[in-house]
This record gives sequence, structure tokens and C-alpha cells, in this order.
Amino acid sequence: MPDKMKRPDVKLVLLGDMNVGKTSLLHRYMERKFKETVSTVGGAFFLKQWGPYNISIWDTAGREQFHGLGSMYCRGAAAVILTYDVTNWQSLAELEERFLSLTDTANHDCIYAIVGNKADLTDPKAHLSRTSDGQPEDQTECEEERTEPQVLSACPTPPASPASLSGVMLHKQVTHEDAVALYGRILRYKGLDEKSSLPAEKVCFETSAKTGYNVDALFETMFDLVLPSILRKRHENQESPTVDLEDSQGAHSRKARIGCC
Amino acid sequence: MSVKAFELVPAVERDLLMGDKARINIECIECCGKHLYVGTNDCFIHHFLLDEVTSSKGKLSYSAQKLLHKYLGLKKPVAELRAASALERLIVLCDGIVFLVDMVTLETVPSAAGGGAKIRSVTAFCINENPVNGDPFCVEMGVLSSKRRTVQIYMVYEDRVQLVKEVTTPEQPCAVSLDGYFLCLALTTQYMILNYNTGTSQDLFPYNSEERRPIVKRISREEFLLAAPGGLGMFANAEGISQRAPVNWSESVIGAAVCFPYVVALDESFITIHSMLDQQLKQTLSFRDGHILQDFEGKVILASIKAVYVSVPLPLERQIQDLLVSHRVEEALILTEGAQRNIPKDKFQILHKRILQQAGFIHFGQLQFLEAKEHFRKGQLDVRELISLYPLLLPASSSFTRCHPPLHEFADLNHLAQGDQEKVLRCKKFLISYLGEVRSTEVANGCREDVDTALLKLYAEQDHDSLLDLLASDNACVLADSVPWLEKYHKYFALGLLYHYHGQDSAALQLWIRVVDGDLQDSTRSDLYEYIVDFLCSSSNLDLVWNYADWALRKDPTTGVHIFTKRPGRKDLPELNPDDVITYLGKDSQALILYLEHLVLERRIQKEKFHTHLAVMYLEKVLSLLSESSPDEVQLTEARGRLQALLRESSLYRVQLLLGKMENCEQLLLERATLHGKLEEHDKALHILVHKLRDFPSAEAFCIWASSCRDSEYRQQLFHLLLGVYLDGSLPANAQAAARGGTGELEMAAVDLLNRHGEVFDAVQVLRMLPEGWSLQLLRPFLGRAVRASMHSCRTSQIALGLAHSENLQLLHDRLKERKKPIFVSKKKGCHLCHNTFSEPAVVCLPGGVPVHTHCVAQRVTDSPTKRQLTNSSNHT
Repeated sequence: MPDKMKRPDVKLVLLGDMNVGKTSLLHRYMERKFKETVSTVGGAFFLKQWGPYNISIWDTAGREQFHGLGSMYCRGAAAVILTYDVTNWQSLAELEERFLSLTDTANHDCIYAIVGNKADLTDPKAHLSRTSDGQPEDQTECEEERTEPQVLSACPTPPASPASLSGVMLHKQVTHEDAVALYGRILRYKGLDEKSSLPAEKVCFETSAKTGYNVDALFETMFDLVLPSILRKRHENQESPTVDLEDSQGAHSRKARIGCC
Repeated sequence: MSVKAFELVPAVERDLLMGDKARINIECIECCGKHLYVGTNDCFIHHFLLDEVTSSKGKLSYSAQKLLHKYLGLKKPVAELRAASALERLIVLCDGIVFLVDMVTLETVPSAAGGGAKIRSVTAFCINENPVNGDPFCVEMGVLSSKRRTVQIYMVYEDRVQLVKEVTTPEQPCAVSLDGYFLCLALTTQYMILNYNTGTSQDLFPYNSEERRPIVKRISREEFLLAAPGGLGMFANAEGISQRAPVNWSESVIGAAVCFPYVVALDESFITIHSMLDQQLKQTLSFRDGHILQDFEGKVILASIKAVYVSVPLPLERQIQDLLVSHRVEEALILTEGAQRNIPKDKFQILHKRILQQAGFIHFGQLQFLEAKEHFRKGQLDVRELISLYPLLLPASSSFTRCHPPLHEFADLNHLAQGDQEKVLRCKKFLISYLGEVRSTEVANGCREDVDTALLKLYAEQDHDSLLDLLASDNACVLADSVPWLEKYHKYFALGLLYHYHGQDSAALQLWIRVVDGDLQDSTRSDLYEYIVDFLCSSSNLDLVWNYADWALRKDPTTGVHIFTKRPGRKDLPELNPDDVITYLGKDSQALILYLEHLVLERRIQKEKFHTHLAVMYLEKVLSLLSESSPDEVQLTEARGRLQALLRESSLYRVQLLLGKMENCEQLLLERATLHGKLEEHDKALHILVHKLRDFPSAEAFCIWASSCRDSEYRQQLFHLLLGVYLDGSLPANAQAAARGGTGELEMAAVDLLNRHGEVFDAVQVLRMLPEGWSLQLLRPFLGRAVRASMHSCRTSQIALGLAHSENLQLLHDRLKERKKPIFVSKKKGCHLCHNTFSEPAVVCLPGGVPVHTHCVAQRVTDSPTKRQLTNSSNHT
């Protein structure tokens, strides 16, 4: 059965302002590479086989133009990854101002993760590739590849200067504490009790799609966290009176054979 | 890009429709089977019969035959047409009025008595293709009204329409689509899903319907395709969830339809075709003045203002092949796999496998071996397809022919590599690893011979180490085909292994022998000779052993004899009869000795014949060495050492025979002494050792050896004998010996013997034997030791005596303690035997401490039939 045809068990959505690196994160995780990506149009989705489960991961477009589609993508999502750029304070603010309301359509028990991408620009430790396959990354990939094409004139991310390559770090505009604080506000927005929800340290990440730093950890943590959701969904499906025609077809034909012999 | 998925075929040309009337435009179309209806802006409906015509070249075209055209009499454009074929009615929207016309006559259906057949103030309507109502003779229709913000659900019958439901909407709806209970609506500012049965609604996403024309297209059960901001085609299901990623249209898209697995969309000047599987744009067709795009029963029909066209999908297999031709492997696979549900299962499997195999060959051609392998594996490629690319690898006996049509474009590897030897090499390396992996899997079932033979050829050609592993293990290499190949690459050793595997050991040996002899060149094994010996050694074919042992022995007797000596004692190997071997080896004394040594020393076979034979061989060797004019001392010493050792250790050989053989040889006195010793003729032996050899240490060693398994008395006897020999030699033949100056020597030997082995001798006897004149000083060590030994034994025995005594006392003490209680004897007590009283203190105590009269006991003892003696009498008071 080809991947595209499998029915996903659960949905995971990447949200965030344009140019924070949502597509790159997903690409890094799925393809184990940092590739030049173009600004996402509308949205894209990938199917990840995680153990016996199929997880669909939706990569959304950060552009304002496609903003209206966000709540549709989030509908029925089991997890939402809110992504910002650690070198850009506005990208964090946007999460709260624009994107948080999109998640109203997500599942009531949806899990939220807050991810600061581009950590390699501010943090020397993020230069160490943390990909599980351990392949050293081609460091010759240059800055042009990092920056997405500037579609709108109001580009919130300053293009990373070549200085970052020579070891001079960019100023980190968003600290981990800021992200943790945002997480607290999200819980409050959702009317969730902080004590009964997942702790911030478990769902606040700083990653680098470029070096692979923390990327696997992010996705794998999320997959593990949504497993209960999958199991519950499967359980519900078993009890539902809906007959799966594809499944019963096989059974019918078998019966028919027995009958005619 | 540029898959050819669709072809645009004209269906109704302009002439047929409107002739030269310039003002007439097409407004709407409907197709139902072969019937095509066209509504125009001048309020006409045209009815055509559309026939598919396939040319001899397989090219499809349409011929349209005009059946009828009818003026509806409203002077307004015909806005929409929908066929309800079960009712034989066309539902027409014209001038805001929905009404029914007969499909055949195009006559307006008059209202029935029960209700009207007209709906007024309609802006748009849609037919439910998945109606909840089960009645086949009515059609469910969703209607948008220009007057109210509502959606009305009507049932359309042959001659009437009936309102069944009306739901209000938050805004004015402008487009609608219907599936089951679900209405998918485009409102002024957004799309929404509305369940007209329950009234529940679900907002989808915002869209400005005034700015851009919305598209609401039902594409499958409870799934809709919508035009989204930014020129996207969004998918949404009835729950308001998007299950497919959007496709990227242009902003000005007019119409869209799904023809699985493609989304076909029309804008002002192009038809764009996106795949739903990977969202990529696959084909763009130029289409000017595009106006309408609709799908009817799977057929996509387009209209410009003036003409109608059919967008004919090319057969899936053709599309896939096109993709493969342009090496777009992944897309081809996605397309194949995406089409799975449109193709019967068994047919799909065949197709899918074939595509995978072709994809594999494309990767292979690009030297992307990892991908190629994966595709070959998934596609269950007949591995011979791959092997057959490599010239001459398949055995001549193989029945394989390449599949038709071919899976790839390559004639062979050289064609593929275009003469690039490095490429050829990489391909060969890949095949080596691939065949190595699959040869033990089910992939190789049924063609194991072909696979193994090909692998053998590659190994041989590439000088690969695994060649020998392949041949040494279970394999199916075809002999006839492999022989010339291995010979070509001088892999004679390997060829021998192959012969051996096929049971032709003799051929293998002949080949190897030629290599060892230098007739053939193969450096695989520098120790090939040893290998052959080893091979013969464990060969179960005795004839073979007898045939080739000769060569091996000639080459090197020492190693060659291993054939016989190193033969493993396994059950499956027939035993060699030692007598046969000895007879066989007869001519080669060196090998014979080694073999006899193997029998006698290693296997310890206790047979007189072998022992004697070996001893004789040893002796002959020694004799032959001795007979040389200047014997090699080292060799001689070694040879004699062996002989002597055997003579000493073994007691099975025929002593007399050997003795006879060396009777006249004055150089082998030591051996003769040993032989005499074996015969217990110790005096002769010692005589030789002392008088002839004058080898006193040997004489002493002889005594020790000859008595090694006997008691000390025997040893003493021997040593006395030796002493006697020493002394006899010195005494009577005094004069003559003195003349040779040997007397002193013998005396000294005697003294040394005594001083060294004094403990063996009986000192008293020795003193008697020794000549009077010997000085005490001379024998001081001996005497000292003898005196000390005698003293020692005296004291030791005294100590032993004392210890025994004290032990005895100890025991007595213990015994007394055991009894403990004193025994009372008094005049008042009576003797238990005679019952008289005691008159004197001396009594006998019976066991249990009972005192009785002495005489009573004596009496009892003499009377007792057992005559038991009471020994432990005592007299305690």
C-alpha cells in the first residue's frame, strides 16, 4: 500500500509566521536534509509511519494570504507545533496574536508545543548536528539557501548574515523563558489547568533545521505524546457502527467462494 | 512537469453550433451518455449526439450529430442545464426560473395538477449525486434563491418539483454543492458546510466571493473541492477537515473537476492539471476563451464561448510509461500506486510490479544502485533480467529470455556504459553484491543455476575473494559453463573445487597437480601441494588416494606421507589397511619410516610386526649412515637416538633378529647392550658397556633403566652386578689391564658408583666384595652414607617401636577409661560362677566387670565347647 493512500490515525499541524522554518523543520525530519525551500503555498502534508500508526503532519503556509485556511488545517488536530524564530521577537508575538485563535478547531485535548527554530544562529551548541543518523552535515550550504524567497516586502526575519558562519552569533531575541511564558498563556487561553497539563519543559524546544539540532527530539516527543490520542481514536472507531466497505469486501468475496463450491 | 495526462479533443465545432452568427455564445453544457446539450445566450438548447471514433492509429476523436435545437422563449441566456436521465428531463435555469424540459423533444413540461414545475428567483442550483432519498424516480436538488438567504431542497419528479426543506444561511449564498445531507456553500465572505437535516454548520475558511468567483465542487462522497484565497484548490470533507494538501491554481480559475488522480482546472487561457497524489502541476494545456469546465460521469468536458471540447485522459499505463521514459521514476510510482483503487487487484499487482522493475532499471542505468535494488526487490524482479544485461553471464543452458515488452532500453552493459569502463566496473560490483544477497532468498528460486553461475563468473573475472567461498559452499554453478570461464581467468584452484563439488575429484586433482608442477599458473594458493595432500588425506575414494599418493610422495615424501598418517578417523571415511600402506610405501624408506612411526609411536599399535619393522628400518638407516665414508654426525646421532629410544621403549620387537643384524657391528654397542638388557642378559649388556664401550654413565643408566619397572631388590641386584663387573675387571686381569692403564679407571668407576648410588647397595655385602687395599678415604662418601643410612634406619625403627609402644599404652588407657568403674571384691561377695565367697584378692574379671574366681574361669574355659580363650584378664582391686 503506498504511503499516500494510508489513512492517517492522527493529525499534527505546524503553525507559525512565515520564514520561521516550518517546512525546513519538517523536511529535515522527513528527508534528513536541510534543503532550499520555497515559500509554502497553501499547505502540504506528509505521512509518517510511527510504529504501527500513521501520523499526518501538516505543514501550513505562514503567509498572511493563507491565514484563513489555518483553522481548517487545525480542525481535529491532536497536536499543534507553534513555531517561531529565535532571532525574531515578532515571530513569537505573532503566534499569540494570529495563530493561537486558529487552534480553536483543534481537538479539546490537543497538545501544544512551542518551538524556537534557527537556534544555530544564536547558540553554538546547536551547531552540533543531533540527527539520529549521525551523518555530518554539509556545512558549505550557504545562507542563500536558508532564507526563503522574500515574497512580501514586510519580511519579519532579517536574512542571516554571513557573519553567523564565521562564528559571530546573532542576537537572540527570544529566550527560552519567553517561550515558557507563552506556553503558560496558551494554557490559560485554553482554560487548562497548568498542573494537569504537560509541563513547559517537555513541550518547549529550541531547534535548528539547518544542523538538525533537536529536530528528531521534537517530532519524536510529539509522536509519543499523541499516542494516547491515537489509541482512543482507534477504540472509538471500533465501537462505531460504520462498516468499512474496503475491509468487508474481502470477507464477502471469501464467503461467496465458499458458497459456490 | 509535462506529463501527458490529457488530450483535448474537439467535440462540437463552432460551425455546427452557431454557424456564422457572431453574437451567440455558449452559456452552459450538459452531457448524459452520448447526449450533449448546449445552452446558449440566445435562449436556445442544442441537442447533439456525441460519438467516439477511434482511428486506426488508436487516436480518439468525436463526431457530433445535431439532433435538435429549441428556443425556450425567454430571450435570456440559458444559465444552467442538468439532466435527470431517469426522469428523461432536463432541469433548466433560465432568467432566474428553474423548469423542466423533455430530454428528447426539448418541450417544456407543463405543470402537473398537484403542484408547479417551476421555481422562481433562482440564482443557482445543484443536483445531489449522493441522495439520501432512495427513490430512483426523483432527483434531489439544492436551490439558491436571490430573494432570501436560504437554501431550499427540492424533490424533482417527472412533472413537478416539491420543496422538502428550507434552511437559512448567515449570509447570502452564491454557490452550492450537495452530498447526502451536506450542503457545501460559498457565502459572501466564507465557505461553510451545512447539514440540512440537523441544521449544524461548520465554517470552512474565509473567501471573498464578490472579489473572485467561488468554486464549490463535489468530488467524491462527502468531499468537496473549493477555490481558496491565493489561487488554491482546497479539499474539504463534510466534517470541515482537509484530508489532502491543496493544489496551487492561478488566481483566475473558472472551473475545476477531478478526474482521478488529477485535478483539472480551467482559467482564462490555460487548462492546468495537478496530481492529487503529490500536488504537483503535471500538465498545462493552452485553451483560449475558456468558459466552462465540468465533468460528466468521469468525462471532463470544456467549452469556450464558441465550441465544446472533451478532455480525454490518456490511458494510465501510457502516462506511467511516459513518465518512465523521461526517467521520472518517483512520479510514475506515485501515479501507479495512486491508481490502485481504479484498477482490478490482480491487474494492479502485475502493473505495479512491472513499473517497479522498470523504475529499478532506470535507477540502475543512472548507477543509483541503492534505489535500483529496492525497486527490484519490491517489484520481485526476475533476477535474470538483470543478469542478462551483462554479456555472457547467463549460462548457455539457461532457458531465460527477456520479458517483452522490454523492461529497459539497454541492449547490454556496454550499451549502458557507453564504453566507460569505470561504469561497467561499478555495475559489475553492484551485481556481485546484489546476487550475493539474493542467491539464498526466494528471489533465486527456479533460477539458482543461472544466479550462481553468473556470480561465479563475476567473482572469477573480478578476482573476488568470495569465489572460493561460493564454491566451497552449497552452490548450483553449471559446470559446463563455468569451466572455460575459470580457465580463462586462470582460476584453476577454484575450478578444482568446482570439479570436486560435482564429484569429479580426479579431474580436480589432475588440474591441481598441473598447477603444482608449474604447467598451469594460478597463485590462489601457495600451499596447493599441502592442500592436495590434505584433500587426499580426507578423501573417501581409496582408488583416488592410491593413484595420487604416488605423485605426492614423489614430490615430498615427508609431507606426502600425511595422506596416510593424518587421515582423520571418521566413520564416513573408509580405513586404510596398514599392511597395504606399508607394502605401497615399501620402495620409499623415508615415507615408510614416517608411516611406521605414525603406527607405532602415535597410534601405539601393539603389533610385533610394525615394531620390528620400524626397528629394522631405524637400524638400516643407522647402518647405511655408518657405511658412508664420512657420516654426518648430526644425522647419525639423531638416527641412533631414535633407534635407541625405540629399542628401550618398545618390548614388542624381535630382539634376536635385531641382535643378529647388528652382531658384527662394533659401532652399535650401546644398542646391543640395550637388546641384551631386553633379553635379561644383564651381564652381557654390562660387559659391553663397561669393557667394550667403557661408558660408565651409560652402564649406570642401564641399571636404572633395566630395573625401572622392578622392585628395589632387582635394582640392587643389578647394581651389585655392575659393581662386580667393575671389580672383576680390575682384579684378575690386573696385569693386562694395568698395562692399558684401565684398572684404575674401573676402580674409579666402582668408587664413583658406590659414592653416587650408595643407597642402592647392601653395604655389608659391598664391604665383603671390596678389595682389602682400598683406602677408607676413597670410599668415605659411600661409607659415610651407608653408616648414616644404617644409623638412620636403626633410629627410625626405634622411633617406630617407641611410637608403637606409646600407642599401645594410649589404647590401654582408653580402654580403662571406658570401663571407669572400679570392681569391688570383698569376702562377702560371691563368685558368679560358683557362688562361693572370695578368699583371696586375685580374681578374674569377666566382661562387664564381674569378678569371678580364677579357678572357676579356668574350669569354664576347659569346659566350654567353643574353647574360647579369655585373654584380657587382669586383677584390679
